[in-house]
Amino acid sequence: MPNANASWRTPTLILVCGCIILTLSMGVRHTGGLFLQPMTSSLGWNREVFSFAIAIQNLVWGLGSPFAGAFADRYGAGRVIVGAALLYVLGLALMAVSSTSMALDLSAGVLVGLGLSGTTFAVIMGVIGRHTTPEKRSLALGIASAGGSFGQFAVLPIGQTLISAYGWQSALFLLACGVGLIAPLAYTMADGHKPAGSHGQSAGAALVEAGRHSTFHYLFWSYFVCGFQTAFVMLHLPSFAVDSGFSANVGMTGVALIGLFNVFGSFLFGWAGGKGSKKNLLLFIYAARAVVISIFMLVPLSVVSIWVFSACMGLLWLATVPLTNGLVAQIFGLRFMSMLTGIVFLGHQLGSFLGAWLGGVIFDRTGSYDLAWALSIGLSVLAAACCWPVREQAIERAVTRPAGA
Amino acid sequence: MARHWRWFCWGMAAALAAVLLGWIFVSYQMPGLLLDLANLRYCG
Repeated sequence: MPNANASWRTPTLILVCGCIILTLSMGVRHTGGLFLQPMTSSLGWNREVFSFAIAIQNLVWGLGSPFAGAFADRYGAGRVIVGAALLYVLGLALMAVSSTSMALDLSAGVLVGLGLSGTTFAVIMGVIGRHTTPEKRSLALGIASAGGSFGQFAVLPIGQTLISAYGWQSALFLLACGVGLIAPLAYTMADGHKPAGSHGQSAGAALVEAGRHSTFHYLFWSYFVCGFQTAFVMLHLPSFAVDSGFSANVGMTGVALIGLFNVFGSFLFGWAGGKGSKKNLLLFIYAARAVVISIFMLVPLSVVSIWVFSACMGLLWLATVPLTNGLVAQIFGLRFMSMLTGIVFLGHQLGSFLGAWLGGVIFDRTGSYDLAWALSIGLSVLAAACCWPVREQAIERAVTRPAGA
Repeated sequence: MARHWRWFCWGMAAALAAVLLGWIFVSYQMPGLLLDLANLRYCG
């Protein structure tokens, strides 16, 4: 609940600032790959050096999210966001002056990864979730997801423009300045967090409780599939299109369509989650992904089929975020929402790591992506099956009273 | 704010958002992005 002396921190203001933070954080992170070619050319590295640092970033992001969430739950989101934004800025600045692979691993990998942990979904969604009513929470989380989606979509061309106009080092410093804007915005998210509806539960007890609840595991593994599919499709779709004989702009337009429709899908499913069953919507999303990928594999490949596939996948892309986070809040409550969504997000990142990596491995071993697409379809079915037994009812807890009360 | 002004403002905001999204979409065809397609392998 907001502090009484901070009434200017309205839910709308928190939502708007949360969206801007997510746009900056997710957007700048999305430009990472654009620096591969200029940095490796300039510093004489091979591509493995750069991609290893980005892989570290993804893992640190995932592993750091539960801790960032726990710190936000314990000490307030504002402090965590400011600290993480500073690490993010430092990481980008050091990346610009990195001359060894270890320096790159530390800057682009560890520091930026830690920065992402505290400035993305786990922490931001927790604040937004706490400041919205249950009826409007899913819509608010959907709008925030759309903000993150918009960042991914919008900042990529901006990053390319900066690199072309000013060179990669200056571009990194300019992007670091952009990320620096997160720190003042975090002031609005400093909600002086107090346990909402406290039951005297500790973080450890909340962790044990979630670990014993089958729904938490179902959400973790379905999010794992989400990460696998999004990483695989985003990273390998352009190559898949080129390998199939299409020009580069067909694949790029596909990526742009995913980004564009992702904004609408996140909003749409967030809104729908406030009207109906989040579990059924999640089940629908994973089942629909299986259907969309299957049709894409069955119909003759053409420019139209690639673009229609991209648009459909875009609609289903980060639409899982408001629903999954909304379910965590709905079932386990708001007190440790950031920590618990951070743990579920770790599943997403592990899936992302495997999706990106396995897509390449499968292509190298078999000479095509067929097996990876089939794996995506199978995992979609499994994720839909994971959503089926999800219980949406909130956990009922006995109120713990202090001794002698 | 009068009702028709509110509608006007929302309409303008929606139109600007549509133009912005369209402009970003078109900017994905930038030569720099198209030429080094391999970069996207590491953007995920």
